[in-house]
Amino acid sequence: MQSGTFHTNYAADMALRPYWPQRLRIALVLVAVLVFPWFADRYWLNLANTIAIAAIGAIGLNILVGYTGQISIGQGGFLAVGAFSAGLMAARLDLPMWLTVPIASLFTAAVGAFFGLPSLRLKGLYLAIATLAAQEIITWVLTHGKLLGIGESLSIPRETSNIFGIPMTAIGNPDFAFYWVTVGCLILTVIFVSNLFRSRTGRAFVAIRDQDIAAQVIGVDLFRYKLLAFATSSFFAGMAGALTAHYRGIISWERFTIDTSILYLAMIIIGGLGSVSGSIYGAAFMTLLPAFLSNLARALSGAVPQINSYLPYMQQGAFGLAIILFLIFEPEGIVKMWRNVKDYFRLWPFSY
Amino acid sequence: MGNDQRRFGMLALLLALALVLAACGQPAPGTGGTTGGGGATGAGPTPAPAGEPIKIGAIFDLTGATADVGTPYSKGQIAYIDWRNANGGVAGRQLQLISQDYAYEVPRAEELYTQFVTQDRVVVFSGWGTGDTEALKGRISEDQIPFISASYSAELADPAKTPFNFLVAPTYSDQMIIAMKWALEDWKAKGNSDAPKFAYLFNDSPFGRSPLADGTAFAEANGVETPLEVPSPRGATDLTPQLTQIRDFGANYVFLQNVSTPAALAIKNAKSLGLDIQFVCLNWCANELLIKLAGADAEGVVGAIPFDPAAEGARVALEFAKEKGIDYGGADSTFVQGWTAMSILVAGIEKTLADGKELTGENIRNTLQTMGAIDTGGVTQPIVFSDTDHAGAKSLRIFRVENGTWAAITDFISAR
Repeated sequence: MQSGTFHTNYAADMALRPYWPQRLRIALVLVAVLVFPWFADRYWLNLANTIAIAAIGAIGLNILVGYTGQISIGQGGFLAVGAFSAGLMAARLDLPMWLTVPIASLFTAAVGAFFGLPSLRLKGLYLAIATLAAQEIITWVLTHGKLLGIGESLSIPRETSNIFGIPMTAIGNPDFAFYWVTVGCLILTVIFVSNLFRSRTGRAFVAIRDQDIAAQVIGVDLFRYKLLAFATSSFFAGMAGALTAHYRGIISWERFTIDTSILYLAMIIIGGLGSVSGSIYGAAFMTLLPAFLSNLARALSGAVPQINSYLPYMQQGAFGLAIILFLIFEPEGIVKMWRNVKDYFRLWPFSY
Repeated sequence: MGNDQRRFGMLALLLALALVLAACGQPAPGTGGTTGGGGATGAGPTPAPAGEPIKIGAIFDLTGATADVGTPYSKGQIAYIDWRNANGGVAGRQLQLISQDYAYEVPRAEELYTQFVTQDRVVVFSGWGTGDTEALKGRISEDQIPFISASYSAELADPAKTPFNFLVAPTYSDQMIIAMKWALEDWKAKGNSDAPKFAYLFNDSPFGRSPLADGTAFAEANGVETPLEVPSPRGATDLTPQLTQIRDFGANYVFLQNVSTPAALAIKNAKSLGLDIQFVCLNWCANELLIKLAGADAEGVVGAIPFDPAAEGARVALEFAKEKGIDYGGADSTFVQGWTAMSILVAGIEKTLADGKELTGENIRNTLQTMGAIDTGGVTQPIVFSDTDHAGAKSLRIFRVENGTWAAITDFISAR
């Protein structure tokens, strides 16, 4: 029984997951992730892919908002940059997915850093409005798609969705095949970001969040690290966008409006600010809740036929209500709930 | 106390988990979102239904940006299925509509489509918006699901690209060209010798933009200056800036590619600005809702209405609605449009079964392509699909609001 943190060597002190229950949990999650697609049908695979892509985007946003304390409501715009740059490379140059996704991510990182420039002068709500401008500018460029030679929507040739020349169709149906790509990218993202916050750069981000003036005093170059935070965050937004483009096969700007930005913000707030796993919980929650409500509605409509005409509105109301309840009862998000559950068992029977 | 809160939080989490698991374990069998299969109460000519119900998937916009017309359309579709089932179904089999609201959001549409096609195994699908139908077109072709959308984007009419999408009205591009043809005639009839000026006021979405390029090409070919494109922002409560832009451009005809609510707003705003311009509505704002919302200001507005609610074929739909007390907000033409679109999907199913073929997406597609003209009782011109063209209707009539109702002012006009 563990009753405290007693590391006896440096390796244990440096470990990302020092305790065996943590390692066991990772192993169990990995097994579940590997086994899931073989039993799930396409509907659940589709949901899983949506969650995985959303989780990558949410982790990206959490780097900026949760870890560095720079509020951004421009995530939808950065997703769009990733999606359309990958889409254009695939459609015009026939570049395969394993090239377009990283290139689009890097490009989005550059765009994100550019739109992060105001963060040097602006903080809090003022910065939020500046990122709103980024969102609007990007949407404007896309809706006036003639500038980029895009019509109303951009189709991505299926052939370009291959990995090192192996077409996705060789693996199975698109939902099954993309599961490995999206989940693979998510795992890489999780590993990278978890470790990022054990490095000098990550700690500089956290220092800026906690007190930027103090951070500057101890030698953190604010300008450099704020831009770096924007770039890193946008990198993952770009990755999520590029994956969306290849997975869906067709993209239009409608997918990346201000609503999307707010949805992502809601994901990290509900999941837990400043937490990698929280971002994943938030993405899963925000994706599964509407699906759950619509399935519930279907189940109910069999029993209570009259309820039908009200169900769509009740669904929307329930969505809002669930979010409010979460914020009231656990403002620190799902990740805190999970921690409470763990603490309850860990400290039992003396949980004070 | 903090502890109680924690316990509550834990309880809520466990409850949520249990519910999610329950939903995973049993993806709601059978019972459709709206219409079950048990409607065999009517005095149908066919005896009790044999065999399994035929499953039809549908997504509706009941709460989103286009809900004003989405709701009556959905009621028309549901009513058709109920009516069909009350009259014995198709070849003795009941129809089962599996439908949900998707709030005009592309990701929701993708999710529901995947659920209905892969879990419920629907054989045909009825869609709604342009953005989502275009987003789904790749999957529709892969899954081989005959798909009739309420979007008439010309992008979806070519079977070489979208072999399973069928259009039951003239494409938005054709509607725009027909409306422009009328406008050019009207301009001449008013004794003008110069060319009129055109402007578009459109929904800021793929739906709104769909006909613009083809419309502009037609206008320019007829000596009209390049029309002004003015997007109407979603959820706008005042369109004065947009209308001022149109006034400064000097447009004589404004083509509205939008749904009824924003279109009515534009018409009312224009009236209070004192603008002397002729509004021409395409399909989705040319309906009774527009008159209801714009009131007296709608007088004189012209509309391209592909589905005529006054036709003989529409009577059965409107009578059924009256008998069952279905409230569709007075939007007769939109209700009839939903009814008719569904009737064409079902016509394909019926013919496939009558030919003794298995009910697969491919067979239904082939049947629709080869079955010749589908008569809609005058609601539209007979609908004809072929293996080279999935735009089933080519012509429509232009209507004008006179004394608070739409009155036909032309014969059927086609775009080419």
